[in-house]
Amino acid sequence: MFRYALKRLGLGAVIITVALMMLFAMVYLIPGDPASVALGPRATPAMIADLRARMGLDQPIWRQFLHFYGSVLRGDLGTEVLSNRPVFDVVMEQLPFTLILVLGGISWSVALGIPLGCIAAVRRGGFVDRVIGVMSVAMIAVPSFVVAIYSLLVFAVALQWLPAIGAGEPGNLSSRLLHLILPSLAVGLGWIGYISRMVRASMLETLEASHIRTARAFGLPERRIIYTYALRIAVLPTITLLGVGIGQMLSSSVFAEIVFARPGIGKLVYEAISTRNYPIVSGAVLVTTVFFVLVNVAADILVGTLDPRVRASFN
Amino acid sequence: MSVLTNTRISRRGVLAGAGAFGLASMVNPKVVWSADGPILKVRSYADIQTLDPCFRLAAPEGDITNIIFAGLVVTTPGDSWGWRPMAAEKIEQLDPLTIAFKLRDNIGFTDGYGQMTAEDVKFSIERIADPANKSPYSGDWATLKEVEVKDKLSGIIHLNKAFAPLWTSTLPTPSGTILSKKAITELGGKMGVKPVAQSGPYILKEWLPKQRTVLVRNPDWKYEQGGFAEIHIHPIEDEKTAELGYEAGDLDYTWTAVSSIARLKQTPPPKTKVIEKPSLAFVWLGLNKDVAPFDNPNVRRAVQYAVDRKAVVDAAYFGAAATSTGIIAPGLPGHREKNLFEYDPDKARDLLAKEGVSGLSITLDILNKTERLTAAQVIQANLQDVGINVEIKQNDSGTFWTLGSKEGDYWKKLQMVLSRFSMQPDPSWATAWFTRDQIGVWNWERFDSEEFDKLNAEGMVELDPAKRDVIYKKLQDLMEESGCYVFLTHEVTGIMYRDSVNAALKPNGEPVFTDFKPV
Repeated sequence: MFRYALKRLGLGAVIITVALMMLFAMVYLIPGDPASVALGPRATPAMIADLRARMGLDQPIWRQFLHFYGSVLRGDLGTEVLSNRPVFDVVMEQLPFTLILVLGGISWSVALGIPLGCIAAVRRGGFVDRVIGVMSVAMIAVPSFVVAIYSLLVFAVALQWLPAIGAGEPGNLSSRLLHLILPSLAVGLGWIGYISRMVRASMLETLEASHIRTARAFGLPERRIIYTYALRIAVLPTITLLGVGIGQMLSSSVFAEIVFARPGIGKLVYEAISTRNYPIVSGAVLVTTVFFVLVNVAADILVGTLDPRVRASFN
Repeated sequence: MSVLTNTRISRRGVLAGAGAFGLASMVNPKVVWSADGPILKVRSYADIQTLDPCFRLAAPEGDITNIIFAGLVVTTPGDSWGWRPMAAEKIEQLDPLTIAFKLRDNIGFTDGYGQMTAEDVKFSIERIADPANKSPYSGDWATLKEVEVKDKLSGIIHLNKAFAPLWTSTLPTPSGTILSKKAITELGGKMGVKPVAQSGPYILKEWLPKQRTVLVRNPDWKYEQGGFAEIHIHPIEDEKTAELGYEAGDLDYTWTAVSSIARLKQTPPPKTKVIEKPSLAFVWLGLNKDVAPFDNPNVRRAVQYAVDRKAVVDAAYFGAAATSTGIIAPGLPGHREKNLFEYDPDKARDLLAKEGVSGLSITLDILNKTERLTAAQVIQANLQDVGINVEIKQNDSGTFWTLGSKEGDYWKKLQMVLSRFSMQPDPSWATAWFTRDQIGVWNWERFDSEEFDKLNAEGMVELDPAKRDVIYKKLQDLMEESGCYVFLTHEVTGIMYRDSVNAALKPNGEPVFTDFKPV
């Protein structure tokens, strides 16, 4: 198990390096000069040249990449030249908002997706199963930004039950939670459908398994069979799916953060790309890639912990 | 098997649901108060990146620095451009080259930096003007000779040459704010996002990046107090999001999207005033005269005749904006009454035929914004009507703002570009970008006129409004005669605010937050 985890972490380091190389290539292939954009029309060519030098943009791209990568290995993401603040600080003050948003999305998807999948599996072929099936596909099909806009129009503008913009009052938990409801629903709604379908399929397979038949033959209560024996196995693919889903939700968070004017890493990167603020883009992408890799490794390890068959395959 | 299908509603479930509903219903109280009084919640289009007036990057930073750092004078709200003293007890122009000032006796800096003195005025102004400091705003003090300190509170600003924009776009702006010499020196010459030695009617209490900036009344400010105890400024880039935030009750004041003005005026949100203000910005279609086919003056002229400017502006701005007659907005010296070349597609066809031009295919570069794309599509249809095919190329902002730069190569391919520049309330701000030394910087049409440069320089030092009017009209005539420009609009600014707020706005709709009052 330990060796497996180490292998996955090693692979994660390779993924991070490749992602950074691709990022650098993309960022420098697109046209636009960050110094001109940042300083605006009143800057003289000398000022623009000075800022380019301070940002290291007068260096060849390979040297910029090596410099950035070397700095990362030393734990330094550099300095944002316009505000003169450490990139790490700028990224880390936004990251928690996105993580909470993603966590909120996962909560919606798990809290609703798993029960719906279970109900559909138990009522296989019936009216309830068909209704849940249609609802699940509809939730998957509707883009998250559409959910974001309509939920905002209905619950914030028309009904005024929930706030429309921002992340809530600092230090006020209820305010923070109320500001999280709509954005996290927008991010997580599609995943309710995914998880519901996944749990249903997995549950149907598990309910046909020999150990479940044996349990029924022994006369165990149906509730215990479903929750103790079937669901524990059926939910395993969901954990792996959620590992991937977190990456997807990180992407969806851009829309939610823009539509709901929330702080967060998605909006930070979006604005940084628009202004060609390369240090922020690189720092933010690095941090989110590391997070994504770690989450996937954690999901794999969790599956191994819960499933004796996977544990056995490691050995 | 029935365990999951038995979904009876329990009393506990009903109570929990009712509790959640009640909790949700309690949010968004419509009147928000702090312990010291009412709170004003407003939207700005960008977050702050620096609060140093010398190095500010965008207008929202200027709005804040103008509040937390006192300037000698400040812009007054109203329908015409004006100013009133702020840190100055008295300030007057003795002659075209000399401005005398005397500070109020009891303006202090926060953080223990003592009283504001004439030495601080000298330091702040000369700091922006000094080329060694590389301030993008050094041009605001382009003709400064020195600031002479007479005594603790008095001094004289000496200019090398007269400078007409001084009272409109220099002194009342952040370029005229006064910082503590001692504080900035201790900071190593530059301030970041944490303001030090604040001195205005409000001080910055809290900045939460990408969330909000909170300003509170400065307890040491002895003069007219701001109407609100706190001002919360929320950075919301997208105008539509801001509108929804307003309609949901999260904001008291916001600019609206131009496309929303008609709808909001017809059916405004409850207890809301929706108004329009003429913008100073200018939008135009530029033709690069150094690239074929626009190296031919008659082809340029044909495009000027071919574009139906009213149709373009009506479509792009939903009928809310008027067409422009140049780059200088109404109300400023130099505003023209009409264009030299109006829409006449027959003349355009004749000119193209005379030049033997047919089957032209041209690229039009635009910024990827909805109203620009709409405008470009109408221009495309207009030019198609006279036999010119137009391909529209959309660019993101990072790419767009470098298209005509001489540092790159794209200017050699740039044919037509739809541009927009913002403005300060002085005509020199409009014309400064079209001189020969701006070719490949911001003069992307590569318009090249010695006469223009000479007149533009004269306009900067001419103080007589009547003479300036003549100069700036002539400058726009020269631009239009070159064939490089099709002037489209000055746009319009849509604003909505609660009727419980008395909004103090500059003539172009920009806010003067210190003068906002609760009704």
